[in-house]
Amino acid sequence: MCDIIWCKKEVDGKDCDTINYLDPYYFWNWEGTIACAECGTVYYIYMINGFMYKGPDERPGEKPDILPLYADKPYDGYSNYRPGVEGRTRPYQCMPRSWLTGTADMVKFSVRGRPVRGWRPQPPSAGLAGQFPYNWDIQKLTPEVWEEYQQKLSKGEVKDW
Amino acid sequence: MAELTPEEFLDNIMIPEKSSDHICWNCTGLKPVLKGSKFPPADIIGWCKKIHWPHYWCVADFNVVKKCYAFEAKKK
Amino acid sequence: MAKDPRVTRIEDLPGPKSQGEMDEMKMPYEEYCKNLFDVGNEHTKPEALKGIKWLSCTMYIFTPHSVANLAELGAKVVKIEMPRMGDAMRHTSPFNECYLYPLHDTRPMTGTGLGFTNANPNKYFLTMDYHIPEMVEVFYGLVKKFDGLTELYRPGTLDKWKMSYRYLSEINPRFIYVWGGGFGYGPKIFGGSYDILGQAHAGLASVTGMHEYMGGHCTKQTNWVIDWQSGNIITCSILAAIHHRRKTGLGTMIEFSQVQVPTRMLGHTLPMYGKFGIVRQRWGNWDTQLCAHGIILCGKSDFPDADNPQDKFDARYVMVSAFQDADFKELCAITGMNDLYEKYKSHDKRVEGEAQVEIYGALEKWAEDKSRSEVAKILQDAGILAEPVRNDREVYESEHFRERGTVRWLDDPLFGDMLVHCGYSCGLMEKTPRRINWHWRPVGADNKKVYQDWLGVPQSTIQEWYDKAWI
Repeated sequence: MCDIIWCKKEVDGKDCDTINYLDPYYFWNWEGTIACAECGTVYYIYMINGFMYKGPDERPGEKPDILPLYADKPYDGYSNYRPGVEGRTRPYQCMPRSWLTGTADMVKFSVRGRPVRGWRPQPPSAGLAGQFPYNWDIQKLTPEVWEEYQQKLSKGEVKDW
Repeated sequence: MAELTPEEFLDNIMIPEKSSDHICWNCTGLKPVLKGSKFPPADIIGWCKKIHWPHYWCVADFNVVKKCYAFEAKKK
Repeated sequence: MAKDPRVTRIEDLPGPKSQGEMDEMKMPYEEYCKNLFDVGNEHTKPEALKGIKWLSCTMYIFTPHSVANLAELGAKVVKIEMPRMGDAMRHTSPFNECYLYPLHDTRPMTGTGLGFTNANPNKYFLTMDYHIPEMVEVFYGLVKKFDGLTELYRPGTLDKWKMSYRYLSEINPRFIYVWGGGFGYGPKIFGGSYDILGQAHAGLASVTGMHEYMGGHCTKQTNWVIDWQSGNIITCSILAAIHHRRKTGLGTMIEFSQVQVPTRMLGHTLPMYGKFGIVRQRWGNWDTQLCAHGIILCGKSDFPDADNPQDKFDARYVMVSAFQDADFKELCAITGMNDLYEKYKSHDKRVEGEAQVEIYGALEKWAEDKSRSEVAKILQDAGILAEPVRNDREVYESEHFRERGTVRWLDDPLFGDMLVHCGYSCGLMEKTPRRINWHWRPVGADNKKVYQDWLGVPQSTIQEWYDKAWI
């Protein structure tokens, strides 16, 4: 749960009607200015222990200290601004895992370039009741990875550390 | 209505569970047990943020503090 | 002596007077240690717990870690898992992505997540649905041959299945039985537990993080410290129980509540409440007992151009320790805080909260135009304890850990190239060092070994059990 600023500023004869969500960990004790994600109107707030002590008051012409975490427009088919939209919502400093699709990330080689059994499917076990009695013989079980490994070796991509 | 200072504002929104004759109620260092709290145990009025800061000291309700070297009156 | 008493010259210090002399003085002992511990050749030495055989009906991190310690020290540990499913921890992986394959023949598209790491090296992996009547006798057969068992079911579950200590000690009086779980007997006997619950329930999270005054909230340690630490403490109890058994010939039961552990890790917190009614508060990256003794933020990153934001923005923290009067004087001299030294000459003055706010504020101001490594270098050169706050990558690249073999690569017999540190991060032992033989193995990978070779069950029966999913 977090506090919001419901921006009702009239822009081009229409109400802005955007809900700007204030991330609680920043705003429980916070004083400063925030820009509406939609129309850019700057509001001043002063929160103490999660209670709005002053504001939100419009502060036209001031530079915002921070942007809302997330914003949406409930009267407009719930269109929204997700976190990290440039100039609209607060940026976050991390590498977004754009390739995170919910499926496993397969690897065939460790960071130093040697084979690691991180991909599927793998050949089944060699016997009774799911037992794995033998070592992983890459050359025999997965010749194509072995081949790739040999190429890496010759290119000098395999390191000790 | 005159504008409230942040301290006065806090006093208005944080309603304490207890009342007593402690001078702590007029001190800036008291962090009272809030109304409706199930914790902590029933025999304290709150914590003194001052004497052992940054640690908090439990102020017992049966041992009424009448004077204190660290007392600092709230501004009226 | 140098003219300025604040200047420390190497000649004035006790011990070696030059780099060369230092090397010379430290060589014999260093050589001695290197030969003694012989890092990298652990497998040529005997194992401390060879001959101890342990059963493990465990899941997640806490209880598996308690027996992983035994396995690293050479005990033969059999982990009994649910048929075709395995430990729930196998299916828990950071980002849902870091898997090693295969998990089991019947599930070719599933792997074991890296969350399983460190709690399960060197174990043998058996599957058995031991609670069904058909398998109870087989389970008892294992109990007769083993020294102990660790389990984590809700209290009384194994008692219901006639597998608790009072039944098993009838079969094998030398049997050491460990129950590890959330709360143990008492008002919350059926309460389950996770690490985060332990951190919260026993007050550890309340003293971690930034103070209320700094705008902070209670914080959990990112890693599952209570799980790992509880595992270690159980291992201590197990070793003590083994010693007791050598003297008396009798087994014992260990009942271990995980939520007790944080209270042990909290040091003076509870006694301080008991004596004075003082509730300990968190104090961020500083210390309420020592000052200066904390982590400060520097102005510049060590890797301003890195792609990884963890390098680019976080490589700015340095740990500084200069709480002794002489060290603090030195710290004030090189950072230009002489007025602060005059103000807080004695430790009892500078350890006060208000003083710390002022001292660390001044330190961070001084570090504003410096990078992390510059700050660390300046302080280290002045003889003050300071180290950059490192991330994983820097730990991996650190010469120190590499030379001592703490972090190293393992050619896992089944899974290939793995970076490990578990067994090698527990200190060096001369005669019977810890070692990692394998990272882990697939579900039921040692079924034939245990059932046929150790218990003498014919292969046809094993196949029949397997087909019925009893194993």
